[in-house]
Amino acid sequence: MELLKMKDICKSFSGVPVLKKVHLTVEKGEVHALLGENGAGKSTLMNVLTGVCPLDAGEIVFDGKAVENITIRHMENAGISFVHQELNLFNDLKAYENIFLGREYTNRVGTLQAGRMRREAGDLFEKLGVEIDPNALVCELKPSQKQLLEIARALFFEAKLLILDEPTTALNTEEVEHLFSLVRKLKAQGTSFIFISHKMPEIFELCDRYTVFRNGEFVGEGQIAQTTPQEVTGLMVGGAFNGQSLYTPRPAGEPVLELAGYCGPGFHDIDLCVKRGQIIGLTGLQGCGSSELMQCVFGALPASGGSIKVFGKPLAGGSIHEAMKAGVAMLPANRKENSVIPDATLLENMYLSEHTLSATRFQIHQKAEQKRFLQYQRLLGIRAQGSDGPITALSGGNQQKVFLARWLNTQAELLLLDNPTQGIDVGAKAEIYRLIFELSGEGKTILINTLEIPEIQKVADICAVFYNGRIIQMLSHGQIDEHTVMLYSTGAAGGEKKQSVER
Amino acid sequence: MKTTVKKNPLSGWMGAVKKYSFVLVFLVIFIVYALVSNGLTWDGMMNVFRHSAVIGVMAIGMGIVCLTGEIDLSVGSMLALTAGFSVVVFNQTGSILLTLLFSLVCGGVLGGINGLLVGAVKMPAFIATLATMLIYRSLAQYLCQHLPAAAIGGGSSVYRMSNQLTGYQPLYQFGNGKLATLPIVGIVLIAVTALFVYLTTSTKFGKKIYAVGSNQKAALLGGIKVSLMKTLVFVIAGVLTGVGAFLWIAMNASADPATTGKSYEMYAIAAVVLGGISMSGGRGRCLGVLFGAMSYTVIDKIIIALKMDSLINDAIKGAILIVVILIQIAGPVIKERLVRMRHGKKAAAHG
Repeated sequence: MELLKMKDICKSFSGVPVLKKVHLTVEKGEVHALLGENGAGKSTLMNVLTGVCPLDAGEIVFDGKAVENITIRHMENAGISFVHQELNLFNDLKAYENIFLGREYTNRVGTLQAGRMRREAGDLFEKLGVEIDPNALVCELKPSQKQLLEIARALFFEAKLLILDEPTTALNTEEVEHLFSLVRKLKAQGTSFIFISHKMPEIFELCDRYTVFRNGEFVGEGQIAQTTPQEVTGLMVGGAFNGQSLYTPRPAGEPVLELAGYCGPGFHDIDLCVKRGQIIGLTGLQGCGSSELMQCVFGALPASGGSIKVFGKPLAGGSIHEAMKAGVAMLPANRKENSVIPDATLLENMYLSEHTLSATRFQIHQKAEQKRFLQYQRLLGIRAQGSDGPITALSGGNQQKVFLARWLNTQAELLLLDNPTQGIDVGAKAEIYRLIFELSGEGKTILINTLEIPEIQKVADICAVFYNGRIIQMLSHGQIDEHTVMLYSTGAAGGEKKQSVER
Repeated sequence: MKTTVKKNPLSGWMGAVKKYSFVLVFLVIFIVYALVSNGLTWDGMMNVFRHSAVIGVMAIGMGIVCLTGEIDLSVGSMLALTAGFSVVVFNQTGSILLTLLFSLVCGGVLGGINGLLVGAVKMPAFIATLATMLIYRSLAQYLCQHLPAAAIGGGSSVYRMSNQLTGYQPLYQFGNGKLATLPIVGIVLIAVTALFVYLTTSTKFGKKIYAVGSNQKAALLGGIKVSLMKTLVFVIAGVLTGVGAFLWIAMNASADPATTGKSYEMYAIAAVVLGGISMSGGRGRCLGVLFGAMSYTVIDKIIIALKMDSLINDAIKGAILIVVILIQIAGPVIKERLVRMRHGKKAAAHG
């Protein structure tokens, strides 16, 4: 019996279609895997389903009734509950208070009936076989307990459909097993689940059916029992790589960045040697540690072990200024949060970093700076009228070019680009790729971290695939294709760490 | 490929008005003053400079602190402590130069303590400077009671400069004299303002202050040493309070640790806000602070001219602050709502 049927769902964000007539059916009492690469539209569909963002077109039938009024409250009352990836719990409240938040039991004058709530929460935990003290503060719970608490909260209000968004990222093997046994138990009682995960072994262990999205389109569904990880991966990444390639092999020079046994928050035992003029792609799933690696090299995060050499000289680490002086630059991810100085003009946004290196020459020479801005504007193709407009008025791609100019202006030789094409339209992406090639042709060495495999395929000489904080495989340019990268980054292949190809 | 280049919202005539709204506020208040004081004199106008000097210099420092998104509540107490000790130094040495040097260094050190607490220890500025506000004021009062009578000029509860010293007359002249009809302390205020307008608009250091206040994380990842910048702005605020303390003793020849600089931190913040600097940092101009401080001085003068009870003073200052900020905040909201309504109608027409 169908519990949920979403049909012909369309959704656009500021004119860009994110979901194109997709559908999804979930049976009663099944675990349904929702699969797709980053940006395939999974989260958007779930946000539509839970009423977080309104849908443009399409219909939703839940529990036999067509849903008209899609609001967060309404969907919650209907029995759909979203267990978010970043847990929506209040750390400073107790476990039972979290369960009852906003729906507390009170007596006639409005006093909380703490005893009753505590008792009922305790009963629920017992019924589910979850070992949590209702009185415990949430901040003192283990990540797995928090995850289970969220599920318990959803069940207390009789959720018929639970959406689990990558629930296992913060859990260890044992905790994952516990979570899965709970899911199986609830499934037997008739609760349905939508399970979003990138980890193939988990999907094949737990799920009954699957639906695959690619670029906001529905590409397939079926029984898990009748498919293989390879086939599903194939559906996720789609047909052969298309689009013309700008890639040409270039000679590599002397070593620029040497990492040995490098450890830090979120990654460990990284051995990597990058040579002048190379473009190295780092990729993996969300949270695989590649972004943290970049931040450590740049000194924005402290490394915890191993050695790092830049242009043959060891770096002490932990200081952005030291890294900058050594010729390292990082274009951070999340442009709005980490790059944009919203109150400053284009010019001010551009010269910021160079000024920290030349701080002793105190005065700003407006004309010279202006000239340099025009130079970069021409080089990078920044579309802006003049340099004194606010940065926030530019499109994402043009903003990113200004920040690229910010770092080129520091005369950096090693560029770390963390997700440089995030939130940029296709045309601007192509321009960024062209710039990456031009810069490497001029002898700059480039590391690019991205979750988008086609991007790596377009630009990288070598691709380092991360899985659980380690480089699980090095692929040379010819070996990079979505299928292979996906197999390694989901842990479907390469269980043992293999020696890198072609150092 | 389409590009979106929006028009710079701060260009054109409206932009200029918005950019320099502090001048408008000042002019309105000044016109009221001109009307009620029947017969505006040159000396009267110059007096505005004189009476804005101390608070103006301190407010500039506060402005720099606010540009980084922080706050300094201790400047009023710092003024009392620095002024008191500077009197002691003057009485002991009789040297104007040494007194000036001491004022600046003492202010810088006291500000540096704030700076280290906020920048290095990463304490919330509101708490850290609240604590030093209590400490500095208390020290000023305690030491006034416990220093030898000769050091504080023979007085009992006030630091008084000894008028027997040869340096006394020149210093007092500096505080109360005029240069080509301009009060000397007013010239100091204008010079300090000019220096900081230059610093904030034309130097790398100044632009970094704005960057830190505008987006601290981006500034950090852009290579700016945010902790150091925060420490430095507090040192600057301290040094400028030191300048204020020197002007104070030159003008008054004494400093009462209980009342000197009382509530000045609040007046300084009010002047900063009135001058158009955003309390969340990153936006505003130092020139505005000068006008903000002068606006408040003129309000004082209006109240005197109207022969009102001076106790009503703060009520009026507070009310004006609320009105100005209300216009600043409510203005864009109303404008946005109008734009949205127009868009809504357009969409309805198309749909």
